[in-house]
Amino acid sequence: MSGGVAEHPIGRLEDLPPGTHRVVRVANRELGVFNIDGTVHAIPNLCPHQRGPLCEGSVSGTIDSGPHTDWKLAWIWDGEVVTCPWHSLEFHVPTGRCVAFADIRLRTYEVRVSDDGALRVVV
Amino acid sequence: MAERAQATGRGEARETLATLFVVDADVHVHEAPDELAEHAEPPWDVALREIAKVDERYLDLPAISPRAEYRIPWPGGSNRPQTVSTAADMRRELDDLHVDDAILFPDHLLSLALVREPAFAVALARAYNDWLADRWLRHEPTLHGAIVVPPQDPRAGAAEIRRHAATPGFVCAYLPAAGLKTLYGHEQYDPVYDAAQETGLPVAIHSVEAVYPVFPFQLEQFRTAMAVHALAHPLAMVANLVSMLETAVPVRFPGLRIAFMEAGTGWVPWIANRLDKEYIERRREVPLLQERPSHYMSRFRYGTQPIEEPEARADLVKLFELFDGEHTAMFASDWPHHDFDHTQHVFGLPFGAEARRRIMGLNAAEFFRIERRP
Repeated sequence: MSGGVAEHPIGRLEDLPPGTHRVVRVANRELGVFNIDGTVHAIPNLCPHQRGPLCEGSVSGTIDSGPHTDWKLAWIWDGEVVTCPWHSLEFHVPTGRCVAFADIRLRTYEVRVSDDGALRVVV
Repeated sequence: MAERAQATGRGEARETLATLFVVDADVHVHEAPDELAEHAEPPWDVALREIAKVDERYLDLPAISPRAEYRIPWPGGSNRPQTVSTAADMRRELDDLHVDDAILFPDHLLSLALVREPAFAVALARAYNDWLADRWLRHEPTLHGAIVVPPQDPRAGAAEIRRHAATPGFVCAYLPAAGLKTLYGHEQYDPVYDAAQETGLPVAIHSVEAVYPVFPFQLEQFRTAMAVHALAHPLAMVANLVSMLETAVPVRFPGLRIAFMEAGTGWVPWIANRLDKEYIERRREVPLLQERPSHYMSRFRYGTQPIEEPEARADLVKLFELFDGEHTAMFASDWPHHDFDHTQHVFGLPFGAEARRRIMGLNAAEFFRIERRP
């Protein structure tokens, strides 16, 4: 599918305070919109595993470990990880990256915030 | 999600989940202890009301399903409700999954074999069976019941099967496998199989995650739920299936229909080939078996959930061919539990059209003797 890129209104910033997220429907698709520390992100509300409603899940951080953490357990990406409510597959919202499978990356959508606080997602 | 998956094959008419007859061989009802109390014989109703004072956690109640929870509670994780408490709610949720008919199994009573007081185990089973008939089966003819058998007292279990065999809506007996102290091949269960065969009801063996000092649940060496959950279900099925073949249950009860639930199916061809190999050398030990073990295994039925998810989906079709899944596999979702399989996922696998019809519904309809409603 191609076609023009367009901005779609998805509400106002004051209704999406930092640390909250919600699902919106634009251009015949469902997106999860997340306010993470004042920056608004959008990813598809569709888990590539069994097609669950990913963005209806909870947001938290996650656990990491490896050479980059000196093999210690580390709590990372606090407030940036959404967990699919169906089978708990995790995604890093700002990048769309699947935490369990680094080669799976969801599309991310730009969200523009106008001076008056109106949110528009670019689809 | 109201998506409508479509399965297509070369030259085949399009069939959708909405038009296909879907029987879900394993969904779970929530038996709240205060509701069970209303159906329990004294003095067990008093104990159940006491248990009801404790806040319930997922598959975790004192005296019934206590769970030593060593999982470390990090923030986040699944936020989906994983219990269904009424027949109307279940019917609505199964409609969303495009499930026509479903077999109901319990939540807490998945751990029934671990209950230490046999009289309490029998009372729980009796209360549950009456509660299920009253609160669920009477209201939704497309929801079918499994008569809970307390393994602590096989004679009482046999009596339960006979007591409820004619109750509308019951279509099988459920044999709990988690923490089972004596495997289901033992002759002590013969009264259960007698009752099931006599009443024409199949038996379904179903396990749950548990760490307990009986085979195959001595899983203390493992640290994670990943390990325990991966092993507890299929090893319980393997152990009980081997036990039942060792004592020739399908020969001694030729009319008995047997299903193995919630362990996926990858273990089925593995143990079939192992047993067939042993049989060549050791037939004298099992003279009641007139055929190789896989012959009898082809008469058993296997729930699909949690379905294996190989990267190449065609490998799943090959796996099913290894145990004639077209005729022996029964779609199961395990709704609403944490590892449920969505109908659209299993429906969308690249099975042939006839195999898909059989796996998604017809095999279970034949096994449980369910007729499609117009």
